[in-house]
Parts: sequence; C-alpha cells; structure tokens
Amino acid sequence: MFRNGVSKLVDNPSDDICPVCKSNRYLNPSLQFLINPECYHKMCSTCVDRIFTSGPAPCPVPHCGKTLRKRGFHKAFFADLAIEREVDVRKRVGAVFNRRHDEFETLLDWNNYLEEVEGLVFDIVEGDVKTRTIAEEKLRMYKEANKGVIEENTRVGLEEGELERRREKAEREAARQRRLAVLREEEEEKADMLKTRQSVLDRLANEDVDANTIAAQAQKIILKKTSARRALKDIPIQSNGSAMDAGLTIRGLKKKEAPAPEKPYDPFGGLDLTPARYVLQDHYENEWLGGAKKDTRHMAGGYSLQEYYARTMFEAFSGLGVFIEDEVTDRNQQPQAVVAPAVETAAAVQAAVSKTKFERNMELDDVF
Amino acid sequence: MSEDERYRTSTQFRLWSFTPSSLHALRETTNLIAANRVRAAVQRLREARTASSAETSEAENVRATSAVPEGEVDCLTVDEELKLVAFYCRQTIQLGDHLKVPTDVKATAIQYIKRFYITNSLMTYHPTDILKTALFFATKTENFYFRLTKFADAIGKTEPEDVLASEFLLTQGLRFTFDVRHPFRALEGAIMELQALAHGNISVLPGEASAVERPANIEKRVKDAHGKARDYLKTSALLTDVYFHFTPSQIMMASLSLADSELADWYMVQKLSANDETALEMRKKVLQTVGRCADMLKAVEPSSEPSAAEKKELSALAKKLKRCRNPEKIDLVGLQKAKREGDVVDEKVIKKRKLEREQSAKEEDLFGPEIKRA
Repeated sequence: MFRNGVSKLVDNPSDDICPVCKSNRYLNPSLQFLINPECYHKMCSTCVDRIFTSGPAPCPVPHCGKTLRKRGFHKAFFADLAIEREVDVRKRVGAVFNRRHDEFETLLDWNNYLEEVEGLVFDIVEGDVKTRTIAEEKLRMYKEANKGVIEENTRVGLEEGELERRREKAEREAARQRRLAVLREEEEEKADMLKTRQSVLDRLANEDVDANTIAAQAQKIILKKTSARRALKDIPIQSNGSAMDAGLTIRGLKKKEAPAPEKPYDPFGGLDLTPARYVLQDHYENEWLGGAKKDTRHMAGGYSLQEYYARTMFEAFSGLGVFIEDEVTDRNQQPQAVVAPAVETAAAVQAAVSKTKFERNMELDDVF
Repeated sequence: MSEDERYRTSTQFRLWSFTPSSLHALRETTNLIAANRVRAAVQRLREARTASSAETSEAENVRATSAVPEGEVDCLTVDEELKLVAFYCRQTIQLGDHLKVPTDVKATAIQYIKRFYITNSLMTYHPTDILKTALFFATKTENFYFRLTKFADAIGKTEPEDVLASEFLLTQGLRFTFDVRHPFRALEGAIMELQALAHGNISVLPGEASAVERPANIEKRVKDAHGKARDYLKTSALLTDVYFHFTPSQIMMASLSLADSELADWYMVQKLSANDETALEMRKKVLQTVGRCADMLKAVEPSSEPSAAEKKELSALAKKLKRCRNPEKIDLVGLQKAKREGDVVDEKVIKKRKLEREQSAKEEDLFGPEIKRA
C-alpha cells in the first residue's frame, strides 16, 4: 500500500496538471488547485475564476455535472482528497450528532451511540450511492427531529470553549499582575532604603547622639517596613485566588480527596517478627562486648550492638520447638521406601543412582 | 512469624535434617552403590589391562595397573566409613587449629564434610581431598578471608589446584546450600540473657512480670556453664550427628544442660510457660528432645581422644580404604583438568550439529531452522 501511494505521487501527472485546462505547473509555478465539497473534483484557481465568476455553473469534469458555486471552492487541506472528504463528512455529522458523554446514563449507552454515529459516517464515506442516500436521509431526519437538542448542545460546546478561553486569559492576566507587583515592590524597597539611609546620614550630621544607636534604630525601621510590606503582600494574593474561583465554574470536575499519608516502608511486608520466647532488651551486660561499646573503631562504622543482641537472642530460641524426629519423618517417607536394588553393571548403577540416591527433587549426576 | 517458623525456612531444616533411621538408610544406600561402582571400575580396569598386556605397555598403563589390587575387592561398611569420617573430622579440627581459623570456620567445614559424605562414599572421593576444599569453602562462607595460595602453602604439600579440583563436586554434594546454622551464637544469646536475669529484673517472657525466683549463686554458675557448654559445642556437637537430628537451639540447650543441668532445666521451664494443656505438652517434649540431644553429645566428651586400640583400628581402616578406592576417581585434579579442557563434547554431537547446519543452509532459511523444544 505504501509503495502504491509513492508511485502514485511520483507518476501521476494530475498532481501538476489541471484536469480542466491542462495548464502545467512547469509553465505556471503559481498554479493552485481548488476543490468544491459538492463533488471533490479539483481544478486550478484560474479555471474556477473563469467558469464560476458569472454565477453557478455545472462541474466541467466529464460525467459529473453537479452545479457548483464559486463560494464553495477552497484549497484542499489534505493531499488525499478521499481523506479531505471524510473529514468534511465527519465535521457535518459531528455538528448534528453532538451529544455529550454526561447525557448518557451508562458507559455502554454512550459507546452504543458512538458506534451508531461511526456507522453512519462510514456509510456516507465508503458506501455506494444507495447506502449513501439512506444515510444522508437518516442524518437529515435526525437533524429535524432533534433541532432543539442539537442547538442546545452546540451552545453548550461553544460556551465551554468560551469558558476555557476566559480562564486562560484570566490566568495570563494574573501572572502579569504578579510580575508587575514584584517589580513595583522592588522599586519601593529600593526607594525606602535610600530614604532611610538619607535620614540616618542627616541625623548623624545634625544630632548629637551616639552613631551606633542611630544605626541600630535605622536597621529596626527597615526591618519593620519589610515585614509590614510582606503582610500586605499576602492579602491581595489570597483575594486574587478567590476572585478567580468565583468567576469560573468548571463542570464535571471530580471531588478532590487529599491523598492518605504514605506509610513508612516495611521491608518485611507486614510480617510480625516480634519475638515470642524472649523480651529483647536495649542493653545487655556482656564482658565480650564491653570493649566494643567504647571502641570508636567499632562504633564509627555504624556497628549496632542492638543488631547483635537481636540476632543472638533470635538464634538462641529459633527452632527450640521444632522436632525434626516428627516433622521430617513424613517428609522422608519416599526415600526410605526405596530399597537399594541389586545392580550388577555400571550402567545400571548409574541409573539406580539418579533414581534412588537423591530423594526429592535433587538430581545429582557425576561431576567427572 | 514465630522463631520456629523462621527456622523451618532454612535449608538446614529443609534439606539437611534427618531422622536417625532415614539418615542410616541413606548412608547404606550410598555405601552399597559406591561399593558396586568400585567393583565395576576395578573390573573394567582389569579387562583393559589384559587387553593391553599383549602390546607394549605404555607408561600410563603401568601406572594404572599398579593401582589395581588383586583378588576380590573388600569394600568398607557403613560403620567403617563413619569411623573414618569422624577421624577425618578430628583431622579437620587440627588442620583448622594449625591454620588459626575461628571456630565457626572449622565447624562449618566439618558440617560440609558430614553432609557431603551422606550422599557420597569415602571409597569414591577420599576425605583428605575433600576436607581441604571444605575448609577453604568454610573460610568463604564464614567471611574469614584466606588467600588460596597462602591457604595451600599453609597446609603443606598442597597445590591450589588440589583445593579447587573438588570445588564443584563438593558444591554439588552440598546441594548448593552453604548456610550452616551453628549453636555458637545461640549460646552467646542464652548466656547473655541469663546474665541479665542474674543481674536485674527483666521479664523472661513477653507480657509477664519480671520477678522470678532464681537459683542460688546464679551469676557464677552461668559463667562456669558458659565455658563448659562452649567446649561441648566446639567438639562433641561437631563430631556427632546432632546437627542432622536437632536444631541449633536444642543443641545449645543440651550443651548447657550437660554443663549445668539444674540451671538449664530452670531456664527452659522459665522459657516454656505451662499455661494450658498444649503448652505443658510442648514443654515436656522440648525437655525430652533436649535430653536426647544431650545423650548424643555425651557420647563424645570434649577432651576425649581416640584410644590406642581405636587408633590401631583407624590405621587398619585407612589401609583398607586405600585398597578399595574407586580407581577412576583417584586423580581428581586430572579429571577436573580434562573436564575443563572440554573434550566432553563427543564426536557424535559435533557431527549432528554439522549436519543440521548444512541442512538449514540448503533450505536457505534466513533465520535458520526452527528452534527445537527440549
């Protein structure tokens, strides 16, 4: 299919030659093809001007004869006119069947509706003359029957688009305001600093007070002003946010739930490893460990005595209540049942080995 | 997940715990098969010798035939094998002392040897080869680094290849499980808690009051028991089969009860509360099991050495072993080398592969023939 498409593009001269006046792109580089969605026959813009300027006329392509108007001509968006046509059909059908997901009670209904629409589109695009007429008829009937609903949905769709545009605009405006505010604030701060410095210099020059106290006072004033400004700044931002919320009501948004705080990672996957036979102490007297406790060479590397305590205590009682005599007996039933067979030849021994010598799933061949 | 359940997940429990009868049955099977193999191998060698005797005897033939004993091969019995294994375990301890490795390493090495000789016979693989490898493995598993060349030098009359020759053999014999649970750390834990009990008021069991009646003079007794119990664990526990029949915790309790039975009984009674019928039953059973383990440990006292008569018997057994070894498995280093150099792929396989390749080339299939399912 791909190859076919390529050869068509390369070989087909119709891409460069107007089918009506046969003028060539080679001779006329500004050649431009137009189509009319009535019949999708393309012709060059000169032909369109020539034939249709004086009012509606039949399509000049042989055996077409559809009446076309100059107003309907436009440049094809897709090179493949079949696709151009399908897109147009979809636009037309979509304008009529413009129901929304939330109008349906279940997802199944919505999907059924979509499938029906898709079937109609397919009939119009791909069907032969008969199915196409039937589909067009259906479309027309539906359009007439549901005029009100269609208009309502179109309006809603437009409103939504409008809302979206307004929201974006408001956001942009808010960002701009923020930037301006920051700039203004910086300027104010700078002016303040200059003013304070000037007043300090004046006081140092005119008054008979210790220089250090004046400097300290000035510092205090600057701090006060900055904090006051900060307090001021917080308020407008808050009011700004609420104003934006009031102007916008976005429909269909799901209620947001704060995510549950994540639990700390448990490497044992919820296994309860609390000892049952002893109480682990934080500290044990142990003459062997006495040195390690104070030795920086041990402790600097992160050696934890608690780890040692936990391990030794665990090993002291792990398996105290495991009775191998009882628990292994039933496990070993099969190998016990195997009686060493009387074997004579080496090959038989080999075979016997792999069968009897290793109980359970252990398969042991000779290494050498 | 209780302490016992966690022990049940260990390979020591899953693969290396046996009842005495099943362990004996396993050893008998191993012995029987190995003996048959030895006889078959000797038979083959004799046939080869008679076939080649007519021709000029090559140097290799001479060497091989000299190893073949005359007459019917007299194989070792299970008991004889066990005696020899015990002897070589003692040897391993001595070798470990000579190399100055920690107790853990020696203990692990001995368990490796014991585990290996459950499914392999001394007649097939000689313990002097295996014990070096086992000890070398143990230095690795117990995190006590020992350089291989140094290791071989320190043993004396050993090349690094000798140690490595039976590497995979031993690994396979251990069923690729290197984890050995020892009772040494368990003893430290118990002593630590006993001392804490002697010093202050700590609760013996979770959710119980701290005040318990303590035996008189407990502090000194704990200290004394510690040393004695450790001696039992260092020798008796390693030279007997307790590792196969009991859990480390039980072995530790048994050694403690051998050192100071009153103290150990008091400790166990404290630890196993008798609130109801099942708990009482459990306590009884644990005490019984520990008692049986203690009996087993007592069979080999820590200070005991083989008597003169035993030594004589052992040397006789060693001689007997020399006569009934599997002649095909003597040169482990050579076998390992042969295996490594890869002459294992026999001609038939090569031919088959070549044929397949040609076939696929004929069919001109770009991606080769279809993948065969094994």
